[in-house]
Amino acid sequence: MTRVLGLRSRVVAVFAGGALVLAGALALTTYEITRHNLLAERERTAERAAYFDAAVVRRGVTSDDADVVSVLRALDTGQGRRPLIRRDGQWFARSADDGITSAIPASLTDLVLQGHPAVQRISVAGHPALAVGLPVPGIGADFYEVQSLREIQGTLRTLATTLALVALAATALAGAVSLWIARRALSPLVAVRRTAELISAGDLSARMSATNDPDLSALSSSFNGMVEEVSRRIEQERRFAADVSHELRSPLQTLTMASQVLMNRRDELDDRTRVAADLVAGEVDRFTGLVQNLLELAKQQGPARCVDTDITALLQRIASRHGIPQELLSVEAEATTWPVDEPRMERVLANLLDNAIKHGGGLAAVHASVVDGRLRLDIDDTGPGVPVDERAQVFDRFGRGRAAGARGGVEGVGLGLALVLEHVTAHHGTVAVLDQPHGGGRFRVEIP
Amino acid sequence: MMGSVTDLLVIEDDDGIRLSLTMALEDEGYAVVATSTAEEGLRHQVKDPADMVLVDLMLPGMNGFDCIRELRKLSGVPIVVISARDDTHDVVAALEVGADDYLVKPVALKELTARLRALRRRTVATGEAPSTVRVFGDLAIDAAAGEVRLGNVPLSLTRTEFRLLCELADHHGAVLSRSQLLTAVWGYEFGDERVVDVHIGRLRRKVETNPADPQHVVTLRGLGYKLR
Repeated sequence: MTRVLGLRSRVVAVFAGGALVLAGALALTTYEITRHNLLAERERTAERAAYFDAAVVRRGVTSDDADVVSVLRALDTGQGRRPLIRRDGQWFARSADDGITSAIPASLTDLVLQGHPAVQRISVAGHPALAVGLPVPGIGADFYEVQSLREIQGTLRTLATTLALVALAATALAGAVSLWIARRALSPLVAVRRTAELISAGDLSARMSATNDPDLSALSSSFNGMVEEVSRRIEQERRFAADVSHELRSPLQTLTMASQVLMNRRDELDDRTRVAADLVAGEVDRFTGLVQNLLELAKQQGPARCVDTDITALLQRIASRHGIPQELLSVEAEATTWPVDEPRMERVLANLLDNAIKHGGGLAAVHASVVDGRLRLDIDDTGPGVPVDERAQVFDRFGRGRAAGARGGVEGVGLGLALVLEHVTAHHGTVAVLDQPHGGGRFRVEIP
Repeated sequence: MMGSVTDLLVIEDDDGIRLSLTMALEDEGYAVVATSTAEEGLRHQVKDPADMVLVDLMLPGMNGFDCIRELRKLSGVPIVVISARDDTHDVVAALEVGADDYLVKPVALKELTARLRALRRRTVATGEAPSTVRVFGDLAIDAAAGEVRLGNVPLSLTRTEFRLLCELADHHGAVLSRSQLLTAVWGYEFGDERVVDVHIGRLRRKVETNPADPQHVVTLRGLGYKLR
């Protein structure tokens, strides 16, 4: 699975990474230069001291059998320097040899034997040290001095730690600064996102706020212009639907009442007229429902206004209106109260029950539960269910589908399920068509 | 007027609706007088008051809102609006000026008569209320006499406002949801809850010293209303 980092994360990563590389390089260079300088300085000091000591030794050692060791002991070398004398391949030191002589490499002694003064960095018992070798002409011996570099090593270690900490701090600072910058730079995008979310939740009046920044004002004005245009078109469509429905309402009122008057006298009609009157009354009812649904869809409803609602009572009310026995309803304890927009939820459930009765061969059960923190409402019918390839279409406006027709529905699904989808979406919920495990269709509504 | 036949005044400018509505309501046993303008309807109501009035909002000449206002000046007669408009704006405005109920066209005869019966019931039923005077702070309700006093000042409530207040008083201290109030006062289960809100607002303007900060009829957000 490849996860694409967000723009903000990428900006921060690039900034912090860059800062790390830069600070690291600076720290490394600083370290190397300091180390080199410190060591070079120490080498020079060591050499000077060795020459001085060698001169002292040369004056002290006059004959072959002179007491070399006592001459060495007389040297004022302090703690750091260890003087040695090598004569005829044999080492003389002030005290017992504790591994210093063996640490002096042959390459150095060879060089000194040939009469060249030499300096070499060596390691004594795991610690760095500097060995200076000087031929002392006249006494037939070579003078060596081994100087410990532990002190410098400690200094360098402290320096390295400090530099590493500074580099890390610089990286962290760069990360923080870039996060702040990215946030500021991306804030128009966040504003776009928020506004877009508001709009898709149904608030068509949402706009991006004006800004003085010329770069951003272009974005916000073109965004707002787009929203303006889109909402103008939506408004136009809605107004058209509303106007049409509105114009239909008055004649429908007349038709409703007139057909009622006809139906009141149904028994007085001859057979032929009675059939015609029944047809008129039936179609008037259907037409009325259609116009009411159309009007509901046309109405600009905005986002759902959710308040804690007694789901059990809501289901019972709707069931009793549809003449559904209460035994078919079951509500789990945690689903008894849920925040929903009650009038809209009522429409959702009423339309789904209506659908189950008219197109699903009758209602089998309604079950309310809470699954993964969402209210789940299962409306089961006794019909054959909806074929998989037609499931998406049942929520289309007037999308009754072949199955709906074939299931013996006299009335089309029309707008009922489209309204269900609209209201459920306003709740940020989902509605799906499923099959029951043991046969029968199932509509599942989930509300967060 | 209080006989078995209910006199209805129908004010509707659409000829088809007026005629079909009249016929259908007459079939249901109502005595219907229908007029096509508000002015004509008002004249009729002055001369020979009907028990209830059905009124359209979009009328030629005087519109429905003004007509309701004028009818309210005459009496507390129950008024039902039947309109093709269902904007919240219109519903609230009509209820604000004094309508008791609001129906959107097309309305089925069954629905209409159910509403009329419920309205009739609450208009007549007030006589059977308990005769004790109930007192809530400076508010006194005499259900039997149909009187409400704030301090010593008698208040003039419409029938619907009075029934609403009595319903809240009957369940004193308990919270009643909008749908409970709709069922109890308006007599139907599935209605427009805006009707309740507007009437509560109207009631508050009469029984509260400061309607913006109600002391008697309080709102419990998301739950409903209660009287204290």
